[in-house]
Amino acid sequence: MQAASKWERVASGIGEADRLYSKPRSFAGDVWFRFRHKPTALLGLIIIAVLILFAVVGPFITPYGYDDQNTKFANIPAVLQVYPAPDGHWLYITKALKVVEVDEQGNLVQQLRKGKDDAANKVTVYPYGDGLTVTLDYSQTPAAIQDAEGNRISETKRLWNKTYLLGTDHLGRDILSRLMYGTRISLMVAFIAALVNMVIGIFYGGIAGYLGGRTDSIMMRIVDIISTIPLTLYVILIKVCLDDGLLSIIIALSSVYWVDMARVVRGQVLSLKNQEFVMAAQTIGSSTRTILTRHLIPNAMGPILVTVTMLIPSAIFMEAFMSFIGIGIAPPLASLGTMCNDATDALRTNPYQLFLPAIVICLIMFAFNFVGDGLRDALDPKLKK
Amino acid sequence: MTRFLVKRIGMMIVTLFLIALLTFVLMHAVPGGPFTSDKQVSKAVMDALNEKYKLNDPLWKQFLDYMRGLVRFDLGPSFKYQGKTVNDFISNGLPYSAKLGAITLVFVLCASIPMGIISALRNGKWQDMLVMALATVGVTIPSFVIATGLIYFFSFKLGWTPVYGVDKWQGYILPVIAMGGYSVSFLARLMRSSLLDVMGQDYIRTARAKGISETRVILKHALRNALIPVITVLGPTVANLLTGSFVIEKIFAIPGMGGYFVNSVTQRDYTTIMGMTVFYAAFLIAMVFIVDLFYCLIDPRIKYD
Repeated sequence: MQAASKWERVASGIGEADRLYSKPRSFAGDVWFRFRHKPTALLGLIIIAVLILFAVVGPFITPYGYDDQNTKFANIPAVLQVYPAPDGHWLYITKALKVVEVDEQGNLVQQLRKGKDDAANKVTVYPYGDGLTVTLDYSQTPAAIQDAEGNRISETKRLWNKTYLLGTDHLGRDILSRLMYGTRISLMVAFIAALVNMVIGIFYGGIAGYLGGRTDSIMMRIVDIISTIPLTLYVILIKVCLDDGLLSIIIALSSVYWVDMARVVRGQVLSLKNQEFVMAAQTIGSSTRTILTRHLIPNAMGPILVTVTMLIPSAIFMEAFMSFIGIGIAPPLASLGTMCNDATDALRTNPYQLFLPAIVICLIMFAFNFVGDGLRDALDPKLKK
Repeated sequence: MTRFLVKRIGMMIVTLFLIALLTFVLMHAVPGGPFTSDKQVSKAVMDALNEKYKLNDPLWKQFLDYMRGLVRFDLGPSFKYQGKTVNDFISNGLPYSAKLGAITLVFVLCASIPMGIISALRNGKWQDMLVMALATVGVTIPSFVIATGLIYFFSFKLGWTPVYGVDKWQGYILPVIAMGGYSVSFLARLMRSSLLDVMGQDYIRTARAKGISETRVILKHALRNALIPVITVLGPTVANLLTGSFVIEKIFAIPGMGGYFVNSVTQRDYTTIMGMTVFYAAFLIAMVFIVDLFYCLIDPRIKYD
């Protein structure tokens, strides 16, 4: 009786000690857990989400189309250095010595019409409003506006360009809108190309790996030969043979980059196909197709996903590369590469026209590389050193 | 060894043949002939042109002619430039491209391998972080962005280097950095991970246990093994440098082969595109072959069979 008070019988079975305090996690949950604990990967994912939003929703918000041009407001940057005008407005002098009237908020009003041009003294007089004039003095660089006594006005101010938030290009097209459309095209090309490559690669590699034997060696020999060919050259070559357009770029990119994917899938299938679950499926008489599509490929999805995320930046790079050497998207459509290409001629005077699309390209590349790295580490933590 | 050589050279010839065939087919699949342009050309002129360039022959005969030319290193005439042959373009451009490419390759090797070694030996320290940050930037930023950025800051803003041309030696600095940036980063990352891998092996512990100095352990035992993956990717690296040269030569106005190639692509000068593609492909295949041969020098375990 003494013992009963000191020692208490505990009910057997699942007690407090055996309870799981955390919810059981699926494999996908596990991957997500590891993925979101890597700051660079999460940052990459956020950048991608923002860019997709920018590319998909942006064009509906912006008042300009990608080909709306206004040559009167060409080459105007995002931040304007302005001189005071007689009536409280401001004047901006472009690099091509045009005078643009800007209101107090920074909205562009108009390009002033030239009045008298005194080439000897290097001044131009512009009529301004009711009988007023504005004089542009371009005898020294930078050019400046003169006041009524003919002295250069040194007082200037910086205004944000409210009409074109990121400025305009050499044809007076809104850079922000073109960036939106350009990002949209670049991402679309990359996603579709990656998807097509994925499908081709999965089936090619899956069939080669599962069937094995002579089929495998012939198929892989073909892959070997294709991979000795410099792919960039062939993308260019295929692009030359097709007409200008979005579709031909996608075809060109889709026709060569599946080789890596095929190798990855084949390797996975080779290592999986002798495991028990495949044997079990064979025993109950599943067809080759079912085994491949239902058992092998879903199990190889991890490495496939990593390869796809790595394919996307290379597709974006290739698209930009081709557009940059002048065989990409046909104008007036914008892609990030064509925007860079258009801006190289004016690099000295208007560097922002190059740097803006270049920054977007870099952001995309960074984001996808980070996500790909994060995904690889998350899917296979053993790989991480 | 002889068997390996014969087999590899046989493979190279088959690959080259396939490349030439593929290129030929692609170029002839183009809708419209090579002389289709905005300008209206009279039928007589068209016929004369087709006759001159033997475009009226059946396709198989054209291909045989082309192959016969290829064997004798004759890549045929240019369709767009009167009196010029593809060989002219190559012999004009090759010296510039080869020099730029060679300098870049040396730069890539001299920069990436030490970077990778430092990064691996100082694993987790600030040196490692710095190298890896640089490498990430180098891998992700496209070469044409690096090139234009470099021009803007070093040529326009600071005025240290010429904007274009390679008349002076300073002219090589920016193109080499822009062209090699990606490869330096890629190889440095590879070198780092491979050296880290090797440093954890048992034979390194054995070497240390014997009392060899750390420098000797690294140079003699670790590095030699860690270099193998780096050498493996040298072939693709050369390919990368080569395609990079198209843009770099365009941006820096270097009169190399890349410029001719890009020109021929935008002008649809079909024979030039074809000839240059075959030339580039042959060059790359030869490079991969040489790299394979180098294996035996560095790793006697690799047998050729």
